Amino acid sequence: MGAYLRRRTLQTIPTLFGIVVVVFLMLRMLPGDPAVFIAGENASPEALTAMRTNLGLDMPLHLQFLTYLGRILQGNLGQSLMNGNPVAAIVAGALPITLVVGGLALVLSFLIAIPLGAAAAFTASRGHGALDHGVMIAALIVDTIPGFWLALLLMLFFTLQLGMFPATGALDPTNPGAFLARLTLPVAVLAIGQIASVARITRTSVLEVLHEDYIRTARSLGTPEWSVLFGHALRNAALPVVTIAGLSFGRLLGGTVLTENIFALPGMGTVLINAIFSRDYPVVQGTILLYTLMFVAVNIATDVLYTRVDPRVQL
Amino acid sequence: MGMIESTLSRPMAIAATAIARPAYAVPGFSLSLGAVGRFLSKPATLIGVLVLAPMVILALVAPVLPLPDANAPDVRSALQPPSMSHFFGTDKLGRDIFARVLMGARVSLLIGFSVAAIAVVVGMALGMLSATLGRGVDSAVMAVVDLLLSFPSLLLAIGFVAVFGAGVVQVIVAIALADIPRAIRLQRSLALGIRGRSYMDAARLFSAPTWWLICRHLLPNTIASMLVVGSTYAANAILAEAALSFLGLGITPPTPSWGNIISDGRRYLQDGWWICTFPGVAIVLAAVSLHLLADGFRHSLDPRAEA
Repeated sequence: MGAYLRRRTLQTIPTLFGIVVVVFLMLRMLPGDPAVFIAGENASPEALTAMRTNLGLDMPLHLQFLTYLGRILQGNLGQSLMNGNPVAAIVAGALPITLVVGGLALVLSFLIAIPLGAAAAFTASRGHGALDHGVMIAALIVDTIPGFWLALLLMLFFTLQLGMFPATGALDPTNPGAFLARLTLPVAVLAIGQIASVARITRTSVLEVLHEDYIRTARSLGTPEWSVLFGHALRNAALPVVTIAGLSFGRLLGGTVLTENIFALPGMGTVLINAIFSRDYPVVQGTILLYTLMFVAVNIATDVLYTRVDPRVQL
Repeated sequence: MGMIESTLSRPMAIAATAIARPAYAVPGFSLSLGAVGRFLSKPATLIGVLVLAPMVILALVAPVLPLPDANAPDVRSALQPPSMSHFFGTDKLGRDIFARVLMGARVSLLIGFSVAAIAVVVGMALGMLSATLGRGVDSAVMAVVDLLLSFPSLLLAIGFVAVFGAGVVQVIVAIALADIPRAIRLQRSLALGIRGRSYMDAARLFSAPTWWLICRHLLPNTIASMLVVGSTYAANAILAEAALSFLGLGITPPTPSWGNIISDGRRYLQDGWWICTFPGVAIVLAAVSLHLLADGFRHSLDPRAEA
């Protein structure tokens, strides 16, 4: 287990290196002279020189990269061009919001989607296809609803028409009621975005397991159906569901960018989009780097979780 | 079940199937007239065709339809609700939303289909090369594939347009960047699966050249599965374009796209619900019908699949 974790982490080193190269190149691939692009056409020569020094653009490319890599390894993501604050601090300040919203959405989507998917598979296997068809059609439609559009519709209905769930205003964790009311809609939107894929995988997985010999054995021994479903089928169907949690995490991260933008939540997505519009490239690089590291970390965690969920898996 | 499973553990394969949903078609069945018949005989597929075809046709003929100019402001008719003169209402500047949604369809559908075409063509080419040209090419291609897949796809696209700017071409490339590695991977695993078939052994016995193997066997036997995923790529690309444009990073005004019409309307949510609503419905309809088409492709190209 520990050895596997170490090996798996070592295997990601080339990937991490590649990610850093791509993020490093972002700034260098800006059209024309990056310093002019960021500072503007009318910047004075002195300002441009200062900008080049600030961004490290006055060095040869390989030295720029080594400097960048060295700083990142020390946790230094550079300074914001807007206010000179360290990017690491800016990103660290925004991260908790993104984690709270994304985490709540993930939990909520599992709580809804797993029972739905299992129920669809179970009724289908018993010859009642109505619920199954309903769930699958709903999943298809829900899966194609753009999250940001759903957010606007929910905001129109709940916030503007009914006056529930404020969509703007401060986030104050010391006031749990207001805090949760403020987060309800963003979490709901993100959770709905995940439900379809999780329900679908649960259904497929449970359907497969229901054909296994041990299920037939359990039934032939007179095991009650609820026990077959919960005690045997769901437990054995859990592995693919864990897998998809990792794989759909990327989609969840993308969703948080849009959702934070709409509900004015000061998370990483808001930081990223504001930085793009103000051409604050060190902040853009820092946020994209952190998003990607989170994605890679979750994928490792998913792999490791296999062994916990299913002892048959040898890694 | 698809060939992809031969390279993945079973739970991974189930997950992969469900993510790429509609599952991969079984390779070995190529396009034929019978396939077209089977394709349209499924009610869900027919619905998909009946929804998507009019959208595509309307998008194509939109410039010659007797509609108000999609970009011409008309302050006297600002923020009007849907009516017979303005089917989908008007926005703050008095522009006709119906005309804007139709003109936006041209951009949004173009991006959707272009991304799918690029991803499928590049994916097939590189996946095939990766599977046939030996270990060196294979590991180089797969290293790039793994690297691209380690970025969350929307963030990869956002990063790309943050560097290269907004615009139709940039958006197409930005979105395709996330689909190409997936297409390469699928094509590669399909090709590797076919490599062991007896007809491939037979061809090799006659010392058929690599290009012959590719054109005669690999291409026809994998194109079906690539069509299936291509349809889902198109659906996802339409959603991704909308997301980028909504953030102000994709297609920028005055050119209408479904995403930027919604972005435009979000400020008038209270006074003009119709501005956001109709382009959103268009996105959902287009994406759902593309998924139905993908399902139809899968069933028609694989007679063994359950009805």
